[in-house]
Amino acid sequence: ENREAMLNSKSNRLTEALEEANRLFDGVCRAREAALDAQFLVIASNIGKEKANELHSEMSAFDSTAFAEDLLTFMGINRTEVEETDDSEDVPGAFLPSDAWRTMGEEASKYFRRAPTFHYMMGSFKSEPPAPKQRIERQKKAGRGKAEQAMPAQLKKMEESHQEATEKEVERILRILQTHFENDPNTPISFFDFVMDPNSFARTVENVFHVSFLIRDGLAKIKLDEDELPIIEPIKPSEGGEEDSRAGVRNQVVISLDQREWK
Amino acid sequence: MSQRKRSKGLGSSQLTGGEDDFIPTQVERRSQDQVNQKVSELVQFLLVKDQKKIPIKRADMLKNIIREYRDAYSEIVKRADRTLQAVFGLQLVEIDTKRHIYILINNLPRPEGQHLCRDKEKEKMGLLLVILSFIFMKGNSVKDSALWEFLHLLRVYPGKQHSVFGDVRKLVTEEFVRQKYLETTAIPLTDPPEFKYQWGPRAEKETSKKDVLNFVAKMQSKDPTFWASQYSEAEANKATT
Repeated sequence: ENREAMLNSKSNRLTEALEEANRLFDGVCRAREAALDAQFLVIASNIGKEKANELHSEMSAFDSTAFAEDLLTFMGINRTEVEETDDSEDVPGAFLPSDAWRTMGEEASKYFRRAPTFHYMMGSFKSEPPAPKQRIERQKKAGRGKAEQAMPAQLKKMEESHQEATEKEVERILRILQTHFENDPNTPISFFDFVMDPNSFARTVENVFHVSFLIRDGLAKIKLDEDELPIIEPIKPSEGGEEDSRAGVRNQVVISLDQREWK
Repeated sequence: MSQRKRSKGLGSSQLTGGEDDFIPTQVERRSQDQVNQKVSELVQFLLVKDQKKIPIKRADMLKNIIREYRDAYSEIVKRADRTLQAVFGLQLVEIDTKRHIYILINNLPRPEGQHLCRDKEKEKMGLLLVILSFIFMKGNSVKDSALWEFLHLLRVYPGKQHSVFGDVRKLVTEEFVRQKYLETTAIPLTDPPEFKYQWGPRAEKETSKKDVLNFVAKMQSKDPTFWASQYSEAEANKATT
C-alpha cells in the first residue's frame, strides 16, 4: 500500500524495507515465512524497477503544470473572470470558452498525417430486396368473349425508390389502357373490370391508387355509361388540348370498396 | 462452391505462414481486367473501413474482397496501395507485421490553413495531441494516474461527463487504444490494477516525436532544444523512420 511513498525518488523507504526484511529473515525458521519473504522480494524488485524507470524518465525536467497552463492559455482561457462557485473542483476561478478544444484541434491537425475520412458524395446506393410484383390482370369486356388472364411476369428486382416505383406503375397502367384502346378503339373499359384483381384485394386497392394518378394528371378520364357504371378511357393527346382550353371539368368522386364488396 | 471451401480451409492455416506457401487450387488465367476489378474493390473497401480509424486486418481483406484471388493477393495489395497514393494521396501502412494489420495515413504534406474535418474529429485530435505530448515529454511511458492528474489541470476528469468529449475515460482508454493511437499495458503486481500508457503504432506513423516536441515548444514559447534529452531522442527517432 505504501507503493507511492516508496516510489518517491526522494525517499529511502524501499531501502529501509529491504533492510528490515533482511533482519527479519534471520528469525525465519518455517517454510511459509520464507515464502512470504520471497513474495516480498518480488514486489520490492518491481518497485525498484519502477523507481529506476522514473529516474530515467525525469529526462530534461518537464514541468507539466506549466505546460497545462500554457495549453489553457492557447485555448483562450479567460483568467480575469473569477467565477463565484462553491464547486471548487469544477471551475477554479477562470473561464474556458466552449470552442477551447476546437482551437486546440485546429492546431493539432497540423501535426498528424491523418487520412481524411472517406464519404460518398452522393450517399450510398440503396438496394431493396427483390419484391415479386404481380402485374394487374388484363380483362377484356365480358361481351367480347372470354377474358384472358395474363399472369404477370414477376419483377426480379426493384432497385428504385418508392416514388419512382409509383410513377412506373402509373405509366405502365396507362400503357395498358392505351394498348387496349388501340386494339378496341371505341369500347371503354369498365372501371371496375380494369382495376379489379380477382385474387388480391390489396392489389386492387393499389390499382385504384395508380389510376387516380392518371385521372389527376389528365391522362385518362372516367365517365358514367348508360348503366351509371363508371368506365375508363385514355385521353388522346389531341383531346387533351381541347380539354385544357376548356378548363376541364373535374369532379371528386369517392368510391368505397371493402373486402366483402370486392369479393 | 467446393473450391471456395477449399481455399477457405487453406486460408486459416495460411494466415500464420507466409503467403508464398500458397498452392493454387485451380490454375486460373487471371485476366488483367479481373485483377483490376479486385484492385478497385480493395481500394474502396479500405477507404470505407478507414472511416472509424480502426486498423484493418488482412484476414478481413481476404475474406471480403480478395476471396478466390488469394494467389494474386500481394500484387493486388501493392497495386491498391499505388492507387491510394496516386489518386488519394494516402498510404497503406502495415503497423503489425506479425498479425498483418494495416492503417491508412496521409501522404501529402500538411497544408496550412483550415482543415475540413468536422469539429468532433478536430477536438479529439486536440486532446490526443496533448496526451501524446505529455507521454513523450515524460519519458514515453506514463502511469494512468499521472495522465489523469495532468488532464485534471485541463478540466478533463475521468469520472465526469465532459461537455465536449462526453465519456472521456472511454475515449482515452477504449477509442484511442482501439484506433492504435495509444497503447496501454497493465503494470504487474498492482492491486487495484494500474496501467501505463505509451504511444500506439498509429501515433508513431501519423506523427513524430520531433513534431510533438515542436508543438510543446510552441505552446511554451521555448526552443525545442530547451529539453535536451527529449530533443536528442526526437532527432534520433527522426533518423530511423
